[in-house]
Amino acid sequence: MTHAVAAHRPRVTVRVRLAWTIAVFGTIAFLACLLAPLAGSTPIHLSTVFDRSLPYADNIDAQIFWVARLPRVLAAALVGSSLALAGVVFQALLRNPLASPDTLGVSAGASLGAMIAITFNLDFSLFGVTAVPVASFIGSFGALGIVYGLSAARRRGTSTIVLLLGGVTVQALLSAVIAFVQYLADFTQTFRNVRWLMGSLDVASYPPLLAALIPMGTSWIGFATLPRVLDLISIGHESAAARGVDVDRFERVALVSASLATGAAVALAGPVSFVGLIVPHLVRLIVGADHRLVLPASALFGAAFLIGCDLVARTIIAPLELPVGIITAIIGGPVFLWLLLRKS
Amino acid sequence: MLKASDVSFSYESGRRTARRVIDRVSFDVDRGTIVGLLGPNGSGKTTLVRILAGMLHPESGQVVLDGASVIEMSRRDLARRVALVPQETHTTFDFSVIDMVLMGRYPHLGPFELERPADLDIAREALDATGTADLESRSFRTLSGGEKQRVVIAAALAQASDLLLLDEPTTALDVGYQFEVAMLLKRLNAEHGTTMIVSTHDLNLAASLCERVVLLKSGSLIAQGPTAETLTAENIRLLYNVEADVQFHARAGHLTVVPLGRP
Amino acid sequence: MAAASKILKHIAIIVALIVATGSSTDLPASREALRWTAVASAQAGEVRPTRIISLVPATTEMLFVMGAGHRIAGVSDYDRFPPEVAKLPKVGGLIDPNVERIISLKPDLVIVYDTQTDLKQQLDRARIPTFRYVHRGLPDITETMRMLGDRIGAKDAANAAAARIEAQLGAVKARVAGRPRPSTLLVFGRDAGALRHIDASGGYGFLHDVLELAGGTDVLGDLKQQSVDVSTEMILRRAPEAIIELHYGESLKTDRIEDERKVWNALPSVPAVKNNRVYLLRGDEFVVPGPRIVIAAERFAQTLHPEVFQR
Repeated sequence: MTHAVAAHRPRVTVRVRLAWTIAVFGTIAFLACLLAPLAGSTPIHLSTVFDRSLPYADNIDAQIFWVARLPRVLAAALVGSSLALAGVVFQALLRNPLASPDTLGVSAGASLGAMIAITFNLDFSLFGVTAVPVASFIGSFGALGIVYGLSAARRRGTSTIVLLLGGVTVQALLSAVIAFVQYLADFTQTFRNVRWLMGSLDVASYPPLLAALIPMGTSWIGFATLPRVLDLISIGHESAAARGVDVDRFERVALVSASLATGAAVALAGPVSFVGLIVPHLVRLIVGADHRLVLPASALFGAAFLIGCDLVARTIIAPLELPVGIITAIIGGPVFLWLLLRKS
Repeated sequence: MLKASDVSFSYESGRRTARRVIDRVSFDVDRGTIVGLLGPNGSGKTTLVRILAGMLHPESGQVVLDGASVIEMSRRDLARRVALVPQETHTTFDFSVIDMVLMGRYPHLGPFELERPADLDIAREALDATGTADLESRSFRTLSGGEKQRVVIAAALAQASDLLLLDEPTTALDVGYQFEVAMLLKRLNAEHGTTMIVSTHDLNLAASLCERVVLLKSGSLIAQGPTAETLTAENIRLLYNVEADVQFHARAGHLTVVPLGRP
Repeated sequence: MAAASKILKHIAIIVALIVATGSSTDLPASREALRWTAVASAQAGEVRPTRIISLVPATTEMLFVMGAGHRIAGVSDYDRFPPEVAKLPKVGGLIDPNVERIISLKPDLVIVYDTQTDLKQQLDRARIPTFRYVHRGLPDITETMRMLGDRIGAKDAANAAAARIEAQLGAVKARVAGRPRPSTLLVFGRDAGALRHIDASGGYGFLHDVLELAGGTDVLGDLKQQSVDVSTEMILRRAPEAIIELHYGESLKTDRIEDERKVWNALPSVPAVKNNRVYLLRGDEFVVPGPRIVIAAERFAQTLHPEVFQR
């Protein structure tokens, strides 16, 4: 038997591939985070930003860097990686490459929360975070609760289908409620609702980022347990169970983690389309299907991707800025069509 | 090696809609043998396979593997001892053949552990054993039905378990691949002494492959024993309500079953 | 003979007005209205619309100001001024006009938004005359008042009211003439408590016009957009000397004003923040491009040039 084994060319182990993946994608993400705050429609100089002799209140370059750009780039990194991770997990969980963070209605729940806060002029603040993002996150939690309840109540054997149908129904239901809330809104509120739905990464302060890190960090802990399990589950529940995977438990971990990440991302920046759908596919084209590579690569590439899209959004028609969701759709749409055509 | 004693199982047990699908089934499987699990659709074969794989817990009775009750083992432990070859494998993502086989190593690795070169060797040996070594880098999706099934068997072999459970392993294949897979299973059993339980409703496969058969109808065991004695026209009529001619086929070297009609 | 030529003159003016306000796709309806109005004129003003429905809050206020408030049969859901409108039937608004309700009130004139083409078609089919409200900038307010006044047979009152408004606006403009004009960021809305989703004037529209009249320069004026999604980077770069935030209805409670003003302290290099020239104004006169625009203009002027308005 061993002679046949020796005849194979040595294969690069997943250990090595993982190291390369993290090195390459990590570098891309790191460079994006480093360079993006320095780029924009207004030229600024790093030397001026860190010039201690100039009082901060007078230092326009410093304010642009610390208030306008750095929080924005960090928000893009957090939102991009969260949505990409959620996309990977939902696609594996639902065994559907067309799934995205929007599929199960968590994003719709977050949008509903925000619409309610805007329409009813809610005005409060929780740990330095204002009403709209807080209401948005609560909304996503509500949607998660419904979908989780559905999945916990499901019977054996049809779990994925029930989850998918239940989630799609929740999504449709919440969209109808959103339409109703918009109907109740007056003209200016409708205007603000529509603006919110276009997504905005200009957070202009750090407390919302820190607040978002709490659910996102929790989701990362969940994600860390998932990579190999997602591989096994994506082949079939029976095979996975027969190999020792506690399928129910891991599906719950996957659902909750992906929903927390999505809810936090949408609460922070509004719904940003296509990131969760496209980034996993683009990453799989490069690293293959092994989730131990796809998950970390998607997180890093998702961050860099959204940072890049946001840079384009805020410079391409300067002095005006485009909502970042338009850029992700303009890039994401054709890429997605190309991927579909490639498969067939 | 494996002893099922008075195993019963109901879906939705304890509720008004409970339905008993396995009713006090008992049988033995000796080490190194191939045992066939036969019965018509709805006989409870699939449920029984799931119970043997530890995925479902019987409501009464027990399944004992090498002296230890299957329910009391950890999932990981059980997976190291029992490997399942499902009827069909549909992949959502584009895994390569070697990826598929390496997944069989999961029960032997820690939660964050990555495969080592030794695991890769075991996977390659499994590919060799199933005659699919040259498919190693191919995309699993692009394989033929027979090749896919052989790779899935290789993945089960890579799991290095004592017992192989096969759920309708040839049902989805054409006659050529059915033959290939049957020959492969025979060879594995002959060369490695792998114990197998094959759930099937292909009577000729059971006749050619299995030393012993267990006959299941509507959740109850109606007969078990050596194939030649148990796979009789009488039992086939009981099981499938079909009149059949059971003959030893000299060229094939085993029993063959030819259905003739309804009684 | 003198009477006949007077009638012809009426008809000629009306034709000109209707052609001016209508578009070419309207011709059948215009001819209809022309015939109707010509008949009205010919009968020396006996048939004037007395059951007017106004879907536009601005025109409702205009009708009241020209003394035709008692002739209003229905208003939009968003009408809030004058207080009398509370008792009037509500028939929807720009996005969701309730056609059945409108028709059931048996109006003889319905004032619709220019973009409500579906509604207009339905009313045409029901043979209900309509007045199309077009609105671009500040001059359109008095222009519309005059046209509307003529249309409903309150020409003299309307012209007088329009002239009064123009005079008052002119007075505001004169008072601030020669004063230095601060570059001003005119904020229409943002998230409560945060500098997020800031929506500001971009150099077009009646509020922009009022700002300019009141002695301020729109800091985003070169963009020529009615409203702009403003990022903090844009604000830092443009460095406005004054910031005026508009709040309508119940959206800003008195005890929150200081906190909301302090939100701008995140951008200390902006001259408006540095020199304490961030103003939060509350009121509905900013939302309605109608007769109360004078109040808006005076408030802007007082805010930007307080020294001129010392008593």
